[in-house]
Parts: sequence; structure tokens; C-alpha cells
Amino acid sequence: MSNEVDETMKRIQSHKGVVGTIVVNSEGIAIKSTLDNTTTVQYAGLISSLMDKARSVVRDLDPSNDLTFLRIRSKKHEIMVAPDKEFILIVVQNPTD
Amino acid sequence: MPPTAAIKSKQGKRGTKTTAETDDLDEWKKSKQLIKPKDQLELSDAELKEMVEKQLSTVNPQIPDSLVQFSFSDGEFVPIPPPGSLILVFHSEGTLLYKDSQEARKQLIEEGIDPDTYFEQTSETEFGTEVSETPDESVTTAEEEQTEDEKPEGEEGEKPEGEEGAQGEKPAEEKHEEEHDDDEGEAEDVETQETQTIPPPMANFTSNVNQWIIYDGYQQDWEQQQREKELERERREKDKAPVGRIQIIKKSTGKQQLSEIVQAKMFSCWRVLERMVNLNTYDDIAKDFRYWDDPADEFREEEGTLLPLWKFSYNKTKKHVVTDLEWNPYYYDLFAVCFGHVDYTKPMSWGAVCLYTLKNPSFPDYICTTASSVMCVDIHPKYPYMILLGLYDGSIEIFNIQETCKEPAHRSNNVTDKHRGIVWEVKWVSNLPDGELNFYSVSIDGKVNHWIVMENTMVVTTIITLFLDKEPVSGPDGTLLKAKVFFSACASCVKFHPKNSTIFLVGTEDGLIYKCSTEYSSAYLLTYKAHQMPVYRIDFNSYNTDIFISCSGDWRIKIWEDNRLGNVTTLKLSPNLRLPCKAPKKQQHLDQWTLQCMKLDRILSLVREPVTLTLPPDTSGIEES
Repeated sequence: MSNEVDETMKRIQSHKGVVGTIVVNSEGIAIKSTLDNTTTVQYAGLISSLMDKARSVVRDLDPSNDLTFLRIRSKKHEIMVAPDKEFILIVVQNPTD
Repeated sequence: MPPTAAIKSKQGKRGTKTTAETDDLDEWKKSKQLIKPKDQLELSDAELKEMVEKQLSTVNPQIPDSLVQFSFSDGEFVPIPPPGSLILVFHSEGTLLYKDSQEARKQLIEEGIDPDTYFEQTSETEFGTEVSETPDESVTTAEEEQTEDEKPEGEEGEKPEGEEGAQGEKPAEEKHEEEHDDDEGEAEDVETQETQTIPPPMANFTSNVNQWIIYDGYQQDWEQQQREKELERERREKDKAPVGRIQIIKKSTGKQQLSEIVQAKMFSCWRVLERMVNLNTYDDIAKDFRYWDDPADEFREEEGTLLPLWKFSYNKTKKHVVTDLEWNPYYYDLFAVCFGHVDYTKPMSWGAVCLYTLKNPSFPDYICTTASSVMCVDIHPKYPYMILLGLYDGSIEIFNIQETCKEPAHRSNNVTDKHRGIVWEVKWVSNLPDGELNFYSVSIDGKVNHWIVMENTMVVTTIITLFLDKEPVSGPDGTLLKAKVFFSACASCVKFHPKNSTIFLVGTEDGLIYKCSTEYSSAYLLTYKAHQMPVYRIDFNSYNTDIFISCSGDWRIKIWEDNRLGNVTTLKLSPNLRLPCKAPKKQQHLDQWTLQCMKLDRILSLVREPVTLTLPPDTSGIEES
């Protein structure tokens, strides 16, 4: 299974316009990344705090609901986030490429 | 109150008496930093040394005066006497007695001592030695302490022990001093003890409580309760179960299992992310799919332009040939692609089935690899995860992709009557009355087989073995050879009647189409001399089930009407085509489809009459352009 996970991650990285992929663990520490160190740390910290906030928004509205995915479209990038209890997956893509 | 001089002398005495204690105190004081308020008044030394005398008065300002109470008998407020200014701060029952009190005398008499003589003796020793004074003094100090405590309240006058006067043998001044010495010493001890405590361990704890945290808490609690109930039930069953029965306990390897779950979750998340990435990448194509229209089509009669949209490829099967395609009946964006080989001079050692989705053209969603080339595929209409494969080596495999793609759920390896040639087509049919899955397969060996999928095995029944319906030919020695016995027709495709499940059409490599029934295996219902080359596919019209269409290697597509041997119309194609167009199931295509039906209707109305009039029913070889 872990083999398939790695393969998928590599494949995503090879997709057109993908700037980077990051795997963050439950403590907000990046455990895998294709970006450079500073950017990774910045992404990991900021996104995980945003995830907490976003999840609390969703769950405050309806406690039986939960956050599953989040996409942030910016002028330059699109950040796609898959949050989970144990990990957060982040993909940064430049959609105009 | 004692005079200041007395206090000074006592201070000196304390200095010598309790040096060890003060050292401790100093140490503690050093560690303590004094914080002065900024606006504290600065005093000179002289001012600091100045004694500020304070006097205690006997008047208690706290006591309310002129209290009144409503008297119901008199019907008016009457003044009540002021509550006495006596406040009892400490009360203790002592075991000591004044030696010259009545009780002491009684006690002495009980002990058999004559009190009078005893007093005379003691009074002598009392004045003679200082040591014997101490028991007496301890009594007085205890008494004095009590009074001392009461003093701040202004109770000096009202000493409860009025009879004390009898012991006034000592001068009052001296007695006072001694008392104070003891008092001061005791007070000091208390002070040092107070400051020696170590602060208790402290920890900061912060937490949020909001609606969903409470909800989660309840949810966990509920799960816990369910689990306990489950355990309870298991325990009860265990108790009931006979001893000696082997209990199989599934040991879950905690961490590994957990990480596997996390891995699976991560995998599915990655897949969704990949689709998201594709959504951006293939945005243009999705728009083309929806809205693309070539305005030039207006001016081309009976023709249109095609725009290729998605391109699907999988690196490992680049050398293979796509042998079959099948849309998933349940998930409209999913389809299966068979990878095998057709040219027998270039055999492939393995085959694969890839399930692609339009949402992710870059990589197949599921990949099932097989030991031989895959020639055909069918997806169960009710269970869209049951994938049926026919292989080049004649075996049949069924994958349950919901469970695993690595191993087929069923395999025809150890079935005795399996096919002995390429399986050209497999078709699921509706379940048997008792819910078993079953399907038909046709193979190059001329057999049409019916398979029932049991839990562990597959049961096969040969429905019909195709034969060549030819006249006996004369052999080299003049005898007639019955072709039926020696030559079997090679089936290449099969199609069941959509309404009558016992009727089916089989296309052969000789270009014939046989209409058969599952109920008779000895004869064909009808034989259509359809094509010059192998028939590749047959399909029924979804709207009018009397009309079917066939395509063949002779580059022709023919439309037929049931029970009529002449074909209705022929369409010529330039490329080699294996699949006829199927009715799209999506709603949005309905308009296009009805349009095609209308076209077909028009063709039929034009063609039908001349065909029946001019051509005998069995001459189907003549084609119309």
C-alpha cells in the first residue's frame, strides 16, 4: 500500500503545472516534500493552522459534518489540501501553466 | 501594656536565645525581593525611629447601640439591651486547678492528703526555691495568654478567672516580664514556620470547548458503550460455549494495522487530489466536451467533424493492442479497456484490464493484470465492481475490484469443460432465481457456454456447439462427408435479445450470424449470411428490438430486421472496426439519439418496400450503396 501511495505522489508531482507536494503529519511537521525547506515549513505551518480554523467552521455549523478537502485559488497558484486526523496532504499547482 | 524599656530588654534576650532561628529567617528574607510601590513616602532615619504610640480603648466601635425590636404584644418597637462587649476568642477546658480552690482541696482530700498541711509545705518551698515556681507559672501563663488574646478586644477588665487574685504572691511587674518573654518566643516560632512552605507543583492547562468537541465526546462515549456491550455479549457467549472448543482469537497487530488504515486513507486522498489537479489541467477539454461545436458542420451535408478529447495511456501496456472497451453501467465516467494482442505472430506474455475514468485521463483507476492477453470484458449491470474477462488462452477470470485488483475472485483454471481457444465475448446475464451470478461466453472453439458462479467454483454448461450447416461434400474417395460432424464454426461474438432472454445471436468467423435459442442445442432458429469476413459485433436496437446491427472485418456495418434474411441497409466504413456504436445512456444525448432513430426510420421506410419486392429473402449478399 505504501508503495502505491509513493507512486501516486510521484505521479502527481509529474503532472503539468504542479509546483510541489507536501505531506504534513498530525503535529504540523512536514514529513515529505518536493519543495525547498523554508517554503515547506511555511506551507506546513500556515496550512495546518488554516485547516484547524476551517474545520472548526464546518463543524461549528453542523457537528456531524466534517471537512474533507479544501482548495484555495489564488492569482498565481491553486493550493489543494486534503486534511485528515493523522495527516494533511498539500498540492500546489500553477493552473495557468 | 508593658513599657518600652521592657520590650527593649526582651529584644536583647531574644537575640541571644534564637540566633539559629533568625539565621534561617535571614536566608529566607534574602531570597525574597521586596517590592516597593513607586509613590511610597520617603522617611528620614529620625522619622523612622520615632515611636508611634497607639492606645487601645475599651470601647468597641463595632457594637451597635440603641437596638430596637418590634414587640407584637405591645404593638410597638421596644429598645433591647445592648449585646455585651464580651467576645470570646478562645476557650479551652483545662485540667489544671488552682491549688487553693475548693476543687483542689477536694482532690487532695480524695488522695488522702490534708490540704492545710500540704499548703503550708508548698508555700515554704515556693518561696525557698525558684524551680518549684514553674508549675505555678505555667498555670498563670496559660491564664495570661488567654487574657492577652482577649486584650485587643478590650476585655482586660473582665477576666473570667476572678479567683486568681489569691496567687498574688509575686510582684506584678516581674510576673509580667516573664510572661512576655515566653509570649515573644512562641510568636517567633510561629512566624518562621509559616514561611517555610514550598509552593505546590503547578501546571498550565488551556482548552477550548465548543459544540463539535462536545459532540465528539458524546460520540466517543457512545462508541465506548457499544464496544462494552459487544464485549459483554462475547463474554456471555464464551461462558455458554462448551469448554474445550477452540476459540480463535484474532490478534490485531495494533500499530501496523493502524498505519495500514492511515496509508489507505492517504492513498484515497492522493487520488482525489490527483483528480483535482486534472480538473485544472484538463479544464479546456472538459469545456470542449460540453460546448465544442464546429460551425462549419452547417455547410457539410451528412457529415460532421470529430474532435478528439481525452487520450488515455498507460506506460506498461504501450505495446499491447486494445481488444475491447466497455462502459461501466453504473458509473458513467468509468470504462474498462482490455489490453491483449490480435496478431498471433507477435504474442504478448501478459494482458491487462485498465479501468479509466474521464476524471483522470492520466492514469487508470484500477489495473488488473492477467497471465494471458485479455480479449473481452464485461461489467455486471447490477454489481459494477464485478469485471468479467475472457482471455486469449481460453480461460475466464472474474475480478472483484472492490476487494482487490491483484487476484481474480474467480478463475476457470480448474474447470473441466472450459474453452479451448480464444474467448471472443463474455456477457453477464440477469441473476438466477436464487441470486447466483451467471454469464455466457463464446469462443473460437465454437462453443457457447453458460457459467454459474458459485462461492468457490464455477459450473459450466455448454449450450450449443456451433456446426457448419453445409451440405455433405464428397470426399476424395467419393464418400460423402458430413461437415456438421467435422467442422465446427468459430464463434466470434454473441448478443442476447434484450426482451427474450432465451434468444441470442452468434456471429462467426465465416461471416454468418446464427439465431439460436438456449433451449435447443441441435438446430439454429435462423441463419443470416451476413458478411464476407468475421462478424465482430452484433447489437440490438434499444428502441425497436426487432432491428439489429452487425459489423464485420469486411468494413461494413449492416442493419437487419429480425426474421427477415435480407439486410436492410449497409454502411461502408474505411477503417477496420470492431465495435458498432452503442446507444449512449446519458440523458443529454437523447436528442441526438432520437435524431438518429428518425434517420433510421426514414431509411427503413425507403428501403423496406423495394427489398421485399425485388429480392428473394435468402439473397442477402447483395449490398446497397
